[in-house]
Amino acid sequence: MQMIGKAGKAAAIAAIAALALTACGRSDSGTSGGASSGAEAFPKDSSIGVALPQKTSENWVLAEKLFNDGLKGAGFKADVQFANGGVSEQQNQISAMVTKGAKVIIVGAIDGAQLGTQLKQAKDAGATIIAYDRLLLNTPNVDYYVAYDNFKVGELQGQALLDGMKAKKPSGPYNIELFAGSPDDANAKVFFDGAMKVLQPKIDDGTLVVKSGQKTFEQAVTQGWKAENAQRRADTLLAGSYGSASLDGVLSPNDTLARAVLTSVKAAGKPLPIITGQDSEVESVKSIMAGEQYSTINKDTRKLVEHAITMVKDIQAGKTPEINDDKSYNNKVKTVPAYLLEPVIVTKENVKTAYVDDPVLGPLTK
Amino acid sequence: MNALKKLFGGNTRQFGMIFALVALIVFFQIATGGNTLTPGNVINLFNGNSYILILAIGMVLVIIAGHIDLSVGSVAAFVGVSVALMIQDWGIPWYLGILFGLLLGVLIGAWQGFWTAYVGIPAFIVTLAGMLLFRGFNQFVGKSNTIPVPADFQYIGSGYLPEFGPVTGYNNLTLLLGLAGVAFVIVSEIRSRRKAKSLGAEVPEAWVTVTKLVLICGAILYATYLFATGRPGTSFPIPGLILAVLVLVYGFISSKTIVGRHVYAVGGNRHAAELSGVQSKKVNFLVMMNMSILAGLAGMIFVGRSTASGPFDGVGWELDAIAAVFIGGAAVTGGVGTVIGSIVGGLVMAVLNNGLQLLGVGADLTQIIKGLVLLIAVAFDVYNKSQGKRSIIGMMMKNFGRGNEIKPDETTSTKEVIAKEA
Repeated sequence: MQMIGKAGKAAAIAAIAALALTACGRSDSGTSGGASSGAEAFPKDSSIGVALPQKTSENWVLAEKLFNDGLKGAGFKADVQFANGGVSEQQNQISAMVTKGAKVIIVGAIDGAQLGTQLKQAKDAGATIIAYDRLLLNTPNVDYYVAYDNFKVGELQGQALLDGMKAKKPSGPYNIELFAGSPDDANAKVFFDGAMKVLQPKIDDGTLVVKSGQKTFEQAVTQGWKAENAQRRADTLLAGSYGSASLDGVLSPNDTLARAVLTSVKAAGKPLPIITGQDSEVESVKSIMAGEQYSTINKDTRKLVEHAITMVKDIQAGKTPEINDDKSYNNKVKTVPAYLLEPVIVTKENVKTAYVDDPVLGPLTK
Repeated sequence: MNALKKLFGGNTRQFGMIFALVALIVFFQIATGGNTLTPGNVINLFNGNSYILILAIGMVLVIIAGHIDLSVGSVAAFVGVSVALMIQDWGIPWYLGILFGLLLGVLIGAWQGFWTAYVGIPAFIVTLAGMLLFRGFNQFVGKSNTIPVPADFQYIGSGYLPEFGPVTGYNNLTLLLGLAGVAFVIVSEIRSRRKAKSLGAEVPEAWVTVTKLVLICGAILYATYLFATGRPGTSFPIPGLILAVLVLVYGFISSKTIVGRHVYAVGGNRHAAELSGVQSKKVNFLVMMNMSILAGLAGMIFVGRSTASGPFDGVGWELDAIAAVFIGGAAVTGGVGTVIGSIVGGLVMAVLNNGLQLLGVGADLTQIIKGLVLLIAVAFDVYNKSQGKRSIIGMMMKNFGRGNEIKPDETTSTKEVIAKEA
């Protein structure tokens, strides 16, 4: 019984000591809020967080290097992280950036709708949030969006398809097939809609014929952007609808799928159709040089990163970053002010000039 | 040395783990320039890992029973998407959603338990099938889309205790919880001493108990202080609270109840257990079912935290949970492991992850380090067991008798005694 007294006393003393030592309670730091005009919003050597998705493609690896070099060059502390472990890892990374006191957080989301809690946390701590390449959805806590204009990408693809087929065969009707990206990627529908804005009137007036009849996005999708899925669908379409007819053109949302479709066409022993692409992948640039794939889209990562860093500099200086679209990108909670970069269509004609500054693709076009 | 022995007496394995955890925290606190032990970061730590730790609670029971469950990530994702859809499409309130989610967990668990326990297919196969099955269901039901959940459902994954009572500059409910925790620790220690005395067992000297209590209570109070002094509006997080309740409940079930002891018996030696009248099929069924219920809960908490359910929720969670359990001292052969140990193991991984992120170490290096930690932690354990020793600290204290061990978590010793006698 005597022991209870001792233990109780010790605990009580510990409790009192712990509270007394730290009687300051909550601190109100970290809620400085938005930028005041004119004066610097935060010190020039502040930490800037960059949360990128899985390190799966050349584009993201390049973006990492560019962000690191660019932010450090501007005097900031760069904190660039990849979330190879998926959404939950990205959530924790953003939380960690907030803990480290990041003043601006640039987010290339794995899933733009699953970061709401962490973005609120960042916003409450006074950080500015820039959605990079992919829009952040269902949250009021996103300040800017910087990306390539994806609807424009689709339009360019549609137009390139028409131009390419016309150059090969002056008058229609042309037989085409449509391929779209993965349904779980919000951009896939945007690409498709952009292209269909150009193609739909031609389908309606009979210039273009989709022989398989598969004209809707749902019919044209390619799960997971996987080449094997596109190739399988192309095999089926060719066997089903093009026994005797010729296939003149294929709308493909990106280079990987374009090459998959070409593989399928070659296997079926058919003449190669005009086919579009996107991303300027090395293999596709080679294919364009060889006259197989018709077009791709150049979305220079360098320019995108450069603009994101310009935004950070503006925010640091207390200026409002430049935007060029304040009405198109509604994320279901707010309309996010956006800066959209213009994509460039690349065919065999302009391939040399398009990649002249590119250290990897430039030499391929020689 | 003698004093140290007495202080950590009996529970050496666990204190080794806790010691490693503390060392890790101290290391990162220094390396990150004080960013580790800030209110915001400890809250993040619990918010970002509570679902894995909840899975670890279920997983340790599965592993103690001699099985494994690879389907937990997929089950979590399936339950998450189902509940999110139901709330979105049928407009049911959040509490019904949670209830339904748990019910779905029961059904899935019954399915897996049936195949494992009554048909006798190894749990590895059953849950490997379940991993594919429920991932497919998740993407089928959700059409591979992201489905948002309303704010009141988000509370279970990212909510905080309300502010209440007088303005003290702290979150009052968190303070109360902390004090309740301290009271609980003190009372249970005193009771176990009393019980030991009445059984005529050796009782450590009073100063040993007092020092131990001061250390534990100090840690609890410091944590309470951190949680109570975060940004206004924050407190000890709701997912952390759910986790704490589950740890208490499952800690009690696994060590103090008949069902709990049966799990160890079946995992340790199934035939011996059956001959002693343990219904091993029922135990296996319950263990597998329980895992799926907890997976469902973890999935819902994650959806709440993410504010939406997605097609790739829960990918790789089973491996995180399994890693936590093995770092926490469970044996692959079954029969050994504790709930508390697994939580500590999970926290080791969580602190490691968090610290490396704070340091800005890349995802690639983080995986390498985590992989090595898992391997070394288990290798260390296996080596010591193969040498007939318990652990480094156990080795230092090999002369220290077992007579006074009346610890609720000390469940490894029975197995080891059996193993030695066999």
